[in-house]
Amino acid sequence: MAELTVDDLHMRYGDTPILNGVALTLERGQVVSLLGPSGSGKTTLLRAVAGLETPYQGTIRIGDQVVFDGARALDVPAERRNLGLVFQSYALWPHKTIFDNVAYGLKLRGHSAADIKTSVTRALEQLSLGHLGQRYPHQLSGGQQQRVALARALVYNPPVILLDEPLSNLDAKLREEARAWLRELIVRLQLSALCVTHDQAEAMAMSDRILLLNGGRIEQQGTPREMYGNPSTLFVADFMGSNNELKGDIVEARDGVATLNGDGFSVTGAARSGAATGVPGVAMIRVERVRIADAPGPNRIAAKLVTSMYIGDRFEHLFEVGKGRLRAYGDSALEAREAFHVELPRESLWIFRAGS
Amino acid sequence: MSTVPAAVAPVAPNTLLARFPRALTILVTASAVLAPLALILYQSFLTAPFFDASKKVGLGAYRFVFADPDFWQAFLNSFTLAVGMTLIAVPLGALLAFVMERTDLPWKRVLEPMILVPSFVSPMVLSFGYVVAAGPVGFYSVWAQDLIGTAPWGIYSIPAMAVIAGLTHVPNVYVYATSALKSLGSDVEEAARTAGASPFRVAATVSLPLIAPALLFSAVLVFFLGFELFGLPLVLGDPEGHLVLSTYLYKLTNKLGVPSYHLMAAVAICIVAVTFPLVLLQRRLLQNARRFATIKGKAGRMKALPLGRWKPLAMALLLAWLFLAVIVPVSGIALRAFVTNWGIGVSLLDAFTLDNFRAVFEEPTHTRAIVNTILIGTIGGAIAVACYTAIGFATHRRNDGWSRFVDYLVLVPRAVPGLLAGLAFLWVFLFVPLLAPLRATLFSMWLAYTVVWLAYGMRLISTSLFQVSTELEEAARTIGASRGRISREITLPLIRHGLLGSWLLVFMIFEREYSTGVYLLAPGNEVIGAELVSLWQGGAIDVVAALSLVNIVLVAIGLAIALRFGVRLRD
Repeated sequence: MAELTVDDLHMRYGDTPILNGVALTLERGQVVSLLGPSGSGKTTLLRAVAGLETPYQGTIRIGDQVVFDGARALDVPAERRNLGLVFQSYALWPHKTIFDNVAYGLKLRGHSAADIKTSVTRALEQLSLGHLGQRYPHQLSGGQQQRVALARALVYNPPVILLDEPLSNLDAKLREEARAWLRELIVRLQLSALCVTHDQAEAMAMSDRILLLNGGRIEQQGTPREMYGNPSTLFVADFMGSNNELKGDIVEARDGVATLNGDGFSVTGAARSGAATGVPGVAMIRVERVRIADAPGPNRIAAKLVTSMYIGDRFEHLFEVGKGRLRAYGDSALEAREAFHVELPRESLWIFRAGS
Repeated sequence: MSTVPAAVAPVAPNTLLARFPRALTILVTASAVLAPLALILYQSFLTAPFFDASKKVGLGAYRFVFADPDFWQAFLNSFTLAVGMTLIAVPLGALLAFVMERTDLPWKRVLEPMILVPSFVSPMVLSFGYVVAAGPVGFYSVWAQDLIGTAPWGIYSIPAMAVIAGLTHVPNVYVYATSALKSLGSDVEEAARTAGASPFRVAATVSLPLIAPALLFSAVLVFFLGFELFGLPLVLGDPEGHLVLSTYLYKLTNKLGVPSYHLMAAVAICIVAVTFPLVLLQRRLLQNARRFATIKGKAGRMKALPLGRWKPLAMALLLAWLFLAVIVPVSGIALRAFVTNWGIGVSLLDAFTLDNFRAVFEEPTHTRAIVNTILIGTIGGAIAVACYTAIGFATHRRNDGWSRFVDYLVLVPRAVPGLLAGLAFLWVFLFVPLLAPLRATLFSMWLAYTVVWLAYGMRLISTSLFQVSTELEEAARTIGASRGRISREITLPLIRHGLLGSWLLVFMIFEREYSTGVYLLAPGNEVIGAELVSLWQGGAIDVVAALSLVNIVLVAIGLAIALRFGVRLRD
C-alpha cells in the first residue's frame, strides 16, 4: 500500500510559485528520491510533507490519514504527523547527549524509562553507535553525527522517513561509503524513505524510483535505469549523466528516427520529445557512449583533437567540431593528428527539439 | 527498531490552553506599555490634574505651554544640543571605530571596554563629575590656574554642553560603526592601500562611506538621545539657567506652585511627538543598514591595516578622547568623594576625609538606596530578563499579526524618555486603586525600569534567540514536540548563556538608571540614581560625590564580571 501520497500540490512564497502541482506516491519499503537543480522545489516539497511549509492547494496523505488538504483547509501540524526527518545539517541538539537526542521522540510519546532505554540502545547499536550514548554531538565525527540523526528519526518507527540531502555534509570518500550503508540499512529495516538530493549518482545508487523536479513540476519519474537510459526531455537527458550536445536542424523525423544536420556533419538517432522535420534540434549522447573510429562512416564526424587529459582511471579526449566540442573517454592517450572520426552510435543518440 | 509499538501521534494539545500563555504575555505587555502612555495623553487634554474635581476636557494645557516663551527656548536648546552632539559624536565615533576595528593599533583589548564606559555610567554621575573636575572651581580648573594662570574653558553654556554630550555619546556611534565594519571585507581597504592611500584616507574614502547606512542610523540615534537628555542639562544647565525640554518639564512643578500635571503631560506629549517618529525612523534605518551590511566585500577574512607612522596620531586621538570623556569626570568624582572641600589653595592631602562615606552609611535613606539599587539590579534584573524572554517566546518564529503588534509595541517605550515614563507610572499607581498600595515599594520602580528598557532587553533576547538554528527547533517539531515543549526543552536550554549575559547587561543598565525613578521616589523605594537627582537639587555635594562613587563601583563590578565571563557588551 502507499505510505505517502501527494496530489496536485501547489505552494508559493509571496508571489513566487515554488511548487506547481506536484504528485507522488511512496510504497512501503521503497526509497524515492527527489532530484533536481537548486531552486527546483525539491526541499520545499519535502518540508511540505513534513508539515514545515504550508501549501495552498492539493492533498498530502500519510497511510490513509489525510494530513493536508487545501480544499478543506486541513493542515495537521508537523508535530502530529509522526514522520521522521533527517536534516541536512543533522540538527542534533547540542545540549543533549547522543542518548537523550535519540530518546527525545520516545519521551514525547510517553514511553517508560525502561522502554526508552531498550529502544534507544537497540537503535544506537543498529547504527554502530552503541558506545557513544553519553557523548555530546560536538564530540562526534560528521559520519557519526549523521547516523545519530538517522537513529533519532527512526527510533519511534515512523511510517515514512524524510531525508534532506543526507550525505551532502560528508566528504567525498565517506559519502560513497555512507551511500551504500544507507541503502543497505533502508532495505534491511524495510523503511519507506523520501530523499532529497541534487547528486544524480547518489539518487541512482540509493533509490527505487527517482522524481526529477524542474521549476516546481515533476519533469519525469521512473526507475534509475529509465531515467538514465530513456529520458523523455532534453532537461532530463541533460541533468542525468555527462553529455555531449550538438546543435543543428532536424532535416527528417519519422517513425521514431530523426536526422540532424549541423555545421559539417549529419547524424541520425532516436527522435525524442518534439523532434519534427524542419525545426532546430539538439543531438545528445552520453560521453561514455562515444567511440573513436579510424575511417569515415555513418554517424561519424570528422573532428580535430584539442587535448587528451589523464584523469586517473581513464583518459578524457576533447575534440573540436566546427564551433562545438565533443568529449570521449579512452584507455590511452591519443596522438595529435589532423583528423579523427568520432562515432556517435545511432542507438545511443537522442535527438530533441531545441529548448524542449 | 521493532520494539516500539506502531507509533501513535503524540498528544499535543494545540488548543486554547496551549495558546493561553502567549495571549496573556501579549496582554500584560500591552497594558504595561500602553496604559501609562494613554494616561499621559488623557491628562494632557484636561485643564487640571486628573484627581482634581474641577478638571474639564480641553486644550488649556497646550495653550498655556505654547504661550510660554520658556518652552520655546527649551525646545530650541534641545534642538541645538541634539544637532551639536550629533556633529561631534558621529565623526569621532566612526573614526574610533575604524581605528579600533580595522587597524593594528596596540592594546585594543584594554582600550575596548574603556571606550564603552561612558555608556555604562549614569549621565547624572558623569555630569556631576564634569562639575567637580572642570567647573569654575573643579580640580582640573584649579590645577590649570596653578600651572598657566587660567582655565580657558567653561562648561555651563549650551555649546559646552553640546561638546560634553557629544563626547560622552561617542560609544553609541562606536558600537554600530564597529559592527558594520566587522561585516566589511578587508580586501576593499587593501585595494585602496595598495593604490597609495594613507590609513586615514582609507577610512575617509573607503571604509566609512561603505558603512554609511550604519552611520546614518547612529546619527539619528544620537540626535534622538539629544532630545532625551536630562541629567546633563539638569546639572550643567542650572548655573546659567539653560533649560531643555526635559528640564523645563521637571521645573514646571515649581512654576505655578500647584500640581501642574496637565501642563507636564502636555510637554510630555510634545517630547514624544518628536521622539516617536525618530524611533520609527531608526527602525527603518537599522533594517536598511543590516541589508547593506551583507553585500560588500568578502567578509570573514580580516587583516588589520598597518597604521605605520600614523600610529602615534591615532593613539593620541583615542587617548585624548578617553581623557576628556572618561578620565576627567570619573577622576573628578573619585577625588571629590574623599575631600572635605576644594578650591584654590586647598591641598588634596589636607582635605582628605572619609566623612562623606560615613555620612552615606549613617543615613538609613542612603543605605536603603544602595541596598535597593543592588536588589533592583540583581533580582529585578533577573525578573526583567525572565519577562523579556517570555515576550521573546511569544513572538519567536511566528510571523502573524500578533508578532508584528508586539514588534511595534516594544518600540513605544523607546520613544518615552525615562523621566516621562516614571511620571506616567506614578500616575498609574495613583490612578489604579489596586496598584496604589504598591506605589512606595520597589515594585513600582522595577515595573517602570522594566518597561523603559523593554526595547533594549528585547534586542538582547532576540539576538540570543536568532542564534538558535531553525532546524534544531524543526527537528523537535517533526519528532512530535509541541511549541511549549520545544521552548522549554530545546530553545531555552540553548540560549541559557545568552540569558546570563543579558542579565549582566540589564544589571548594569538598572544600576545606571536615574531619570525613571525621579518621580516614583518615595520613602522605602529609594534608588541611588533618583536619589542623586534629589540630593543634587538640595545641594548636598559631599553625599552626592560619595554616592556617585558607590554607583560607579556597582557598575564596575557588573562590567568586571561581564568581561570575566566574556559577555559581549554590545550586539
